[in-house]
Amino acid sequence: MSQADNSTFTAAERLRERALGRRKYREALDRAAAVTISLGGIGILATLVLLLVYLIYVVRPLFVPAEISSVVSFSAAPSQAARLPPVLLSMDERTETILRLDQSGQFSWIDLGGESVVQTSRLPVAQSAEISAVALISGEPALLAIGLDSGEVLLVSAEYGAAAGPESGARNLPRSLSYPFGRLPLLTTSGSVSGLAISQQRNELQVVAVGANGQIELATGSRQSSLTALLDPASLPEYEWSVARFEAQVSDATRVFIDGDHQYVFALDANDRLSAFSIRALHEGGDESFSSDSIANQPGKVMDAEMLAGGRSLMIADDQGQVSQWFIDVSDGGLLLHQARVFQAAMIPLDQIESEQRRKNVAVVDVDGVFRLFNTTADRLLTEQALVDEEIEAMTLSPRGDLLLTESESGQFLAYPIDSPHPEISWSALWERVWYEDYAEPAYVWQSSASGDVYEPKYSLMPLTFGTLKAAFYAMLLAAPLAVCGAIFTGYFMAPGMRRTVKPLVELMEAMPTVVLGFLAGLWLAPFVEQNLLGVFALVILLPVTILTASVAWMFLPKWVRHRTPEGWEAALLVPVVILGSWFALWVAGPFESWLFGGDIKAWLGSELGLAYDQRNSMIVGFAMGFAVIPTIFSIAEDAIFTVPRQLSSGSLALGATPWQTLSQVVLPMASPGIFSALMIGLGRAVGETMIVLMATGNTPIMDINLFEGMRTLAANIAVEVPETDVNSSHYRILFLSTLVLFAFTFIVNTIAEVVRQRLRRRYSVI
Amino acid sequence: MPMNENNERDPQAGGNFADKVKTGSDACIDIKKLNLYYSKDIHALRDISLSIPRNKVTAFIGPSGCGKSSLLRCFNRMNDLIDDCHIKGKIRIDGDDIYDKRIDVADLRRRVGMVFQKPNPFPKSVYENVAYGLRIQGINSRRILDEVVEDALRAAALWDEVKDRLDDSALELSGGQQQRLVIARTIAVEPEVLLLDEPASSLDPISTLRIEELINELRASYSILIVTHNMQQAARVSDFAAFMDMGRLVEFDSTNTLFTNPSERQTEDYITGRYG
Repeated sequence: MSQADNSTFTAAERLRERALGRRKYREALDRAAAVTISLGGIGILATLVLLLVYLIYVVRPLFVPAEISSVVSFSAAPSQAARLPPVLLSMDERTETILRLDQSGQFSWIDLGGESVVQTSRLPVAQSAEISAVALISGEPALLAIGLDSGEVLLVSAEYGAAAGPESGARNLPRSLSYPFGRLPLLTTSGSVSGLAISQQRNELQVVAVGANGQIELATGSRQSSLTALLDPASLPEYEWSVARFEAQVSDATRVFIDGDHQYVFALDANDRLSAFSIRALHEGGDESFSSDSIANQPGKVMDAEMLAGGRSLMIADDQGQVSQWFIDVSDGGLLLHQARVFQAAMIPLDQIESEQRRKNVAVVDVDGVFRLFNTTADRLLTEQALVDEEIEAMTLSPRGDLLLTESESGQFLAYPIDSPHPEISWSALWERVWYEDYAEPAYVWQSSASGDVYEPKYSLMPLTFGTLKAAFYAMLLAAPLAVCGAIFTGYFMAPGMRRTVKPLVELMEAMPTVVLGFLAGLWLAPFVEQNLLGVFALVILLPVTILTASVAWMFLPKWVRHRTPEGWEAALLVPVVILGSWFALWVAGPFESWLFGGDIKAWLGSELGLAYDQRNSMIVGFAMGFAVIPTIFSIAEDAIFTVPRQLSSGSLALGATPWQTLSQVVLPMASPGIFSALMIGLGRAVGETMIVLMATGNTPIMDINLFEGMRTLAANIAVEVPETDVNSSHYRILFLSTLVLFAFTFIVNTIAEVVRQRLRRRYSVI
Repeated sequence: MPMNENNERDPQAGGNFADKVKTGSDACIDIKKLNLYYSKDIHALRDISLSIPRNKVTAFIGPSGCGKSSLLRCFNRMNDLIDDCHIKGKIRIDGDDIYDKRIDVADLRRRVGMVFQKPNPFPKSVYENVAYGLRIQGINSRRILDEVVEDALRAAALWDEVKDRLDDSALELSGGQQQRLVIARTIAVEPEVLLLDEPASSLDPISTLRIEELINELRASYSILIVTHNMQQAARVSDFAAFMDMGRLVEFDSTNTLFTNPSERQTEDYITGRYG
């Protein structure tokens, strides 16, 4: 008996224990599930945040202002008494060596690291000669044109030199002067040389000098390039020089410039009048010159002037504290100067201006010795810095623009490292019209690369943003009505049997890789539409008409035909109608085209309406991307309509409402949150879509709403340009910025969608 | 065709009870040999003939799946919405064959109002719910609507509870209020017949009581057809009762007679709870 008791007890005990164990197991499972799910959610959020943080991290340097860091100050002159004022300071590429030329023709090489003069060399000129003007072509070696007070112009090549070492490799060049064009003066002006310019473009060298009484001398050296010269630079032939000498109509010309294309010599006289002389005409003995008073008409008096890198615009610093950029437009009509932009650098007169060699940066120093760096494209002040209190006798920017060097009258050298990796980027350069060089007016341009060395980058995001919205707009124009109407029909009217076939089929469209859609759109649809343009228009008009006609005809069909069709399957009968209608529209277009549009509607569009027709255009993108977006919108909207409780539509019908009234009064308002988010998700997809727009738009970054022209979208632009950009270049960071813009787009669209959806749902929430 | 014992025992089953039962008033709905098929195989209603008296409450009782709701839905042609559903036989309401093709279904449904098992107010304001039936008929005059809405809400015994919150969402009302709102919405379009498909089955006892009181108040103005699972409710509210089973009308009589002295044993079994 007791044994039996015992066994029941243990059985009960065992049961309880097992139940306890099960409960523990279940609790553990619950906890594990909770942790896993939370981790998953947090992981997704963290990934998103990380992505955003990385994007911002890459983009941020674009908007960080330029910075001047720790100043190095040293004195390299042996003694103040022996020191003569410098006429030129210059630096090598790596900012290791400074080349200094003083008034008497004494060259000094100063080691920036050792802060001392390491070598000196003297020009072969008379002891009493004084340098009155100097011009330089940066490079290694640097080529200098030196004008003397005697009127002679010498060309000297100066080697910066480099210490032998593991870093500089095999290079161990002596610091020396050489005379590649001989020691004799190239030009001789009457009186002292007051202005001098030198410029090199491929195999042509231009040297221009202006003498005291306005006499201008021009020497053009050119050489034939050859294939052997490419392989062995030493075998390059000698320059052949031709010299032109002429009297400028303007006296007291103090500054001369050569444009980047070597077509004109410009002279700015003491009255701020700018004259242009055609180089070709001068060498042919003719005289083709123009002049303009535009600069003279400005209130400010020119204090200093220099060509901006690239030789296409003139930068003027005046006594009103303004720096202005002038586009020079020499045409048959004469010399036109456009004041493209003005920087109010200071309220006091400016003293010196210096252009950076490779970028559109320009440095000015005012009479109080405050240094400011501007970028013309970005239209912004990059940085400013008060220099020493004494007068600055010479200054130079390193070739890469990363170091400013000044020498003051006491012989003090100051080196300011400038950290400005992306000067050409600013809000206005990205989003506003920019007046680029060689452009007739300010414009939105995206042109990230060019063949020229000194190229003004055009990074306006507007054409891309516009293209993105344009593509999305045309896609939605097609997709939204089709998808929503299809969803309404499928979700509300269609027989369940047919719905079970139709819905998965439409959703299958979504599984189609967009690269296939883009491929079909670009390689099949675009040429097809181009050849049957009128047919496609006819299709757009005739197809709805045909469908309506067929629906009306259906109502008048004999009863036995209608009753043979199961309820809700009527739409299936439209399939042959649509096919026949499409075929008819395409067939009828041919005769119509020759009758109405002279056989070529594209030519007619161009001549009559002024619409250009690209093969890859917005219409193609509208079709292809519309096709890609339809299933997304359809699927979500259909679900929303289908899940409106039947009891509500029944309730409406039971009150005597027609199906249409029920649809518009009860079903659609209730489904509206879902339909709205369907449209927004569709829009988000259209905005972010890449492959279709990449393959079917032609990728032309233009801003034109014309249906028949292409566009370039942000997404396609990233896909096209990321492989060819340098890591951490401005271009690279701007591409990342455009991903941020894209991100912001979808974020805004989705947020609006969610907010509106929530609001609608609160309003039409189901019981 | 499945075997049916009842068929053998009573050849009269499914016959015309209208001839047998003295309803004491003229018929509002006349049903002749009604058969309803949901598809080829599902024969939901079999040979139903019945006359439903005017301005009385007629209850339909029977086990689940007996076809009482299907029958109710025939009177306002809600079965039309179901695929493959077709009908044989005739239903006349006030002499009009409602399955005649000249009949406007929307107009029929206005004449034959229906209240469903679950309260289904529209996600609109209380006012708009009641005005809905009029608005879809194109009546938008504020004066008329105000009047009709108040009358309908008073008739549905809801006015005092909602008169200060006419612009609030109907979904904020309680379940019982919602069901009375649905009744108000239905009577706002002045139907002749009210079909109540288990109107109180999803409500608490107090709300159920109010609905029953409401039915009592409405019986003078409307012919009311009510489907219910609740015997006591049928006994309390109805004047006449029909017992259905397996798609057939087993018995139709005055409620008193049906509940106290049913002529069919099957009916008695069901009413007394012995039904298997």
